[in-house]
Amino acid sequence: MPENASTAAQGVDDLFYFINNINYFFFGLIVLILIWFALRYRSKPSEHATFNNDAPVHNTPLELTWTAIPLLIVGVLFWLGMDGYLHLTDAPDNSYPVQVTSQKWSWTFEHPEYGVTEAAELTVPLGRPVRLLMTSPDVIHSLFIPAFRVKQDIVPGRYSSLWFEATKPGQYRLYCTEYCGKDHSKMLAVVNVLPEDEFQEQLGKLAREYEEISDHDLPAYALARLYNRCASCHSLDGKSGTGPSFKGLWERTKNGTTVFKDGSTLKDYMGPGGQFEVPENYIRDSILNPQNHIVQNYTGAMPTFKGQLKERQIDALVLMLKNYDKLVDEQGNVIENPDLTGVDISTGVDQ
Amino acid sequence: MTTIDNPSLEIPGLDGDNYLNHSRGIRSWILTLDHKRIGVMYLVSVLSSFLLGGIFALLVRTQLLVPDGLIMNQDEYNQAFTIHGGVMVFLVIIPGIPAALGNFILPIMLGAKDVAFPRLNLFSYYLWVVGAIFLVMAIFGGLDTGWTFYTPYSIDQDSAMGGVIPAVTGAFLLGFASIFTGMNFIVTIHRLRPDGMTWFRMPLFLWAMYGTAVIQVLATPVLGITLALLAVERTFGVGIFDPALGGDPVLYQHFFWFYSHPAVYIMILPAMGVISDVIAVHSHRHIFGYAFIAWSSIAIAIFSFLVWGHHMFTSGQSPLMSVIFSFITFSVAIPSAVKVFNWLATMYKGSISWNTTMLYGMGFIALFMIGGLTGLYLGVISVDVHLHDTYFIVAHFHYTMMGSALIGFIAGLHHWWPKISGRMFNENAGRFAFVLFFIGYNMTFFTQFMLGSHGMPRRYATYPADAGFQTYHIVSTIGSYLMAIAFFTMAGYFIVSIFKGRKAPANPWGGRSLEWQCTSPPPFDNFSEQPAVGDCYDFSVLRWDEATHGYVWREDVEHPGHETEQTASA
Repeated sequence: MPENASTAAQGVDDLFYFINNINYFFFGLIVLILIWFALRYRSKPSEHATFNNDAPVHNTPLELTWTAIPLLIVGVLFWLGMDGYLHLTDAPDNSYPVQVTSQKWSWTFEHPEYGVTEAAELTVPLGRPVRLLMTSPDVIHSLFIPAFRVKQDIVPGRYSSLWFEATKPGQYRLYCTEYCGKDHSKMLAVVNVLPEDEFQEQLGKLAREYEEISDHDLPAYALARLYNRCASCHSLDGKSGTGPSFKGLWERTKNGTTVFKDGSTLKDYMGPGGQFEVPENYIRDSILNPQNHIVQNYTGAMPTFKGQLKERQIDALVLMLKNYDKLVDEQGNVIENPDLTGVDISTGVDQ
Repeated sequence: MTTIDNPSLEIPGLDGDNYLNHSRGIRSWILTLDHKRIGVMYLVSVLSSFLLGGIFALLVRTQLLVPDGLIMNQDEYNQAFTIHGGVMVFLVIIPGIPAALGNFILPIMLGAKDVAFPRLNLFSYYLWVVGAIFLVMAIFGGLDTGWTFYTPYSIDQDSAMGGVIPAVTGAFLLGFASIFTGMNFIVTIHRLRPDGMTWFRMPLFLWAMYGTAVIQVLATPVLGITLALLAVERTFGVGIFDPALGGDPVLYQHFFWFYSHPAVYIMILPAMGVISDVIAVHSHRHIFGYAFIAWSSIAIAIFSFLVWGHHMFTSGQSPLMSVIFSFITFSVAIPSAVKVFNWLATMYKGSISWNTTMLYGMGFIALFMIGGLTGLYLGVISVDVHLHDTYFIVAHFHYTMMGSALIGFIAGLHHWWPKISGRMFNENAGRFAFVLFFIGYNMTFFTQFMLGSHGMPRRYATYPADAGFQTYHIVSTIGSYLMAIAFFTMAGYFIVSIFKGRKAPANPWGGRSLEWQCTSPPPFDNFSEQPAVGDCYDFSVLRWDEATHGYVWREDVEHPGHETEQTASA
């Protein structure tokens, strides 16, 4: 079993190893008997089988015994498993709440107490029960944190919940474990367990991050903090994935050269009186209403991010795309400490 | 009683009239009503499907050699595991023993000339072929839902790439083929047993086939209806399973597993039946606890309907339901355990031939033990929450589906190969392939228990490089290559045996059930007169005959003939 870091984990592990021991014992016993019989009663190739008629063909007490013993063992196992499971399903009343949205193929974690939204990273306090209330707008996903030994399917159209209490600070992996399509195996996140004071500090910082950050730093910030939500579909190096690459996206948008599935081009919708008076609005619309215009050769798999991104985060993403060449090099690598002097910080939206 | 005294001397097998040379030409095969030829056609179809599914298994394993995936992109990988799963489940394991071996052996074992409804039998074969074509077309058309077709993913027009309707149609037709075969077997076992073949004189393979047939007939319609509902939902937008239309996706899972869990026993029960016979015959010893094994087959068939919810412990069903399903799930472990103990006791004081068939029989016990015991972790709900949908599940069901069900099929294929083909295969090549298979198998799948308990989710085309998964994946992939070599060796010696193999005697292993009393291969109408039935596990009446290289009736023991009712032991 992997490292364990929650209150539930120890119980699960104890049970796991208990079954392990039972299994080693019985498997060893039966394989030994199997091998012993196979060797002891082997008929040599040179002789042909002799038929031994005095071997027993039936023994009711023996057969009842080997029916009863397994019955007893599985009865005990059932009871222990049920006990542990009922504990897992019952979240304490004072749990710290987190809202989780899982959609193809990213995770969003909202902290209602702080008004903070995180993507691909879930920060939780150490030593306090945390309850995740989870929804999915598209297909079934499943949230799995191996170190905490917890897992719960997230079924569209209803809330699912899960709770845990972390016992060790650190970073733990979070996986999607219900097959959800193309980038299922990229639907990963990290759980960041922080001691109470650091947790408060971090959440406070996250709550203020968009107020505190200057417009000037916004593009780089978007790439570092928001792009991970886009990464499973939109590449930085020009390769097309489930969606078009971000490379050159702003040029295509500005010049209106993007071609849509129905054969029209972005130019047809731009300009005064058009749907997009300014090109920035097309980016905004693509984030909030991705089904409006589907780019040629793509399937329109993108979910809406309406309600999941704040205005300032959308600004940040638009700015990131507009200043793409300053943030990402030709090969698609993120440039460290990018030179953003004279950066265009107008989003066009509030012109 | 000429067919019994020393049949292989009197009717020289391949040279005499048999089902293979009774009539010639392609029409005599494709329009045949002979259960043996239909069985052989099923066998060829199933083995071809196995090759197809196996190739995709190797592609999947090769992909996982490196964390970022070696040979496929995400979409291709998702399609590859869908093809592998769909083909192996629907086209190999489910029809493997019942439709291919069962069709061939069941009527002969029973002492009948054919199944009760030979035309229905041929019809079910063609239904199967049409279903298989639909399924294969669909999955090559880009189906990527996995073999489970979970909603709402499978009704999402964009993701599932349009392949769901043909795939569902395929599975629906395959289901009907399976129902027809099941009905045919039930009626055959009820109505066509000859005098003296009481229920408790039937070989255990027939008990297992009977249990299987009951499940097929009762459970498969649920799959058909579910898949029909799925097609209706997808075509007309009626809300059944899709929450966007007011449906419930978990309802689909209930329906699906209400069929698919019993289906697990459609796969494993026949294998248990084969193994019961293989172990008794090759240990040359009366089966131990006949009644317990027979009843445990029926018990498994009944329990199998009551445990479907254990696939859904983390799906959001009510905790009370999970607890109840966990409880019933454990009860199904008991009859399986009983069978293992009985097989072991059968070997006690036997005279065990270490031939290929028996090696698969013993291999089955070991692998089935691992498959069954690892089921304990999954029945314990709190532990299952951690292991669900990880590689632990993948390993567990491969141990039961492949290590047990498929090995049962392979053991049966070796056991009855002389009867089917009239030729003996090379034993040393067979033993070599077994050892290679056994090592490769455990390398491939035992490592996956470790992967799963460390948290590697299933159906992942790529995995984190620093999570410690790669070493296990490499070992697993190498194991799968070893298995591939073993299977190609097996194909090789079977093919060689057809052309160059020694002619098989009527009874090469020393079996006493009725199929060993007719020639190898059997004549067109199986038995020229109604065969005599005795205790099919009392082998003491047989002796080795050097002249024919087979077993014959002992001269100093009176042949039971027809008047044997008084010696019947139930």
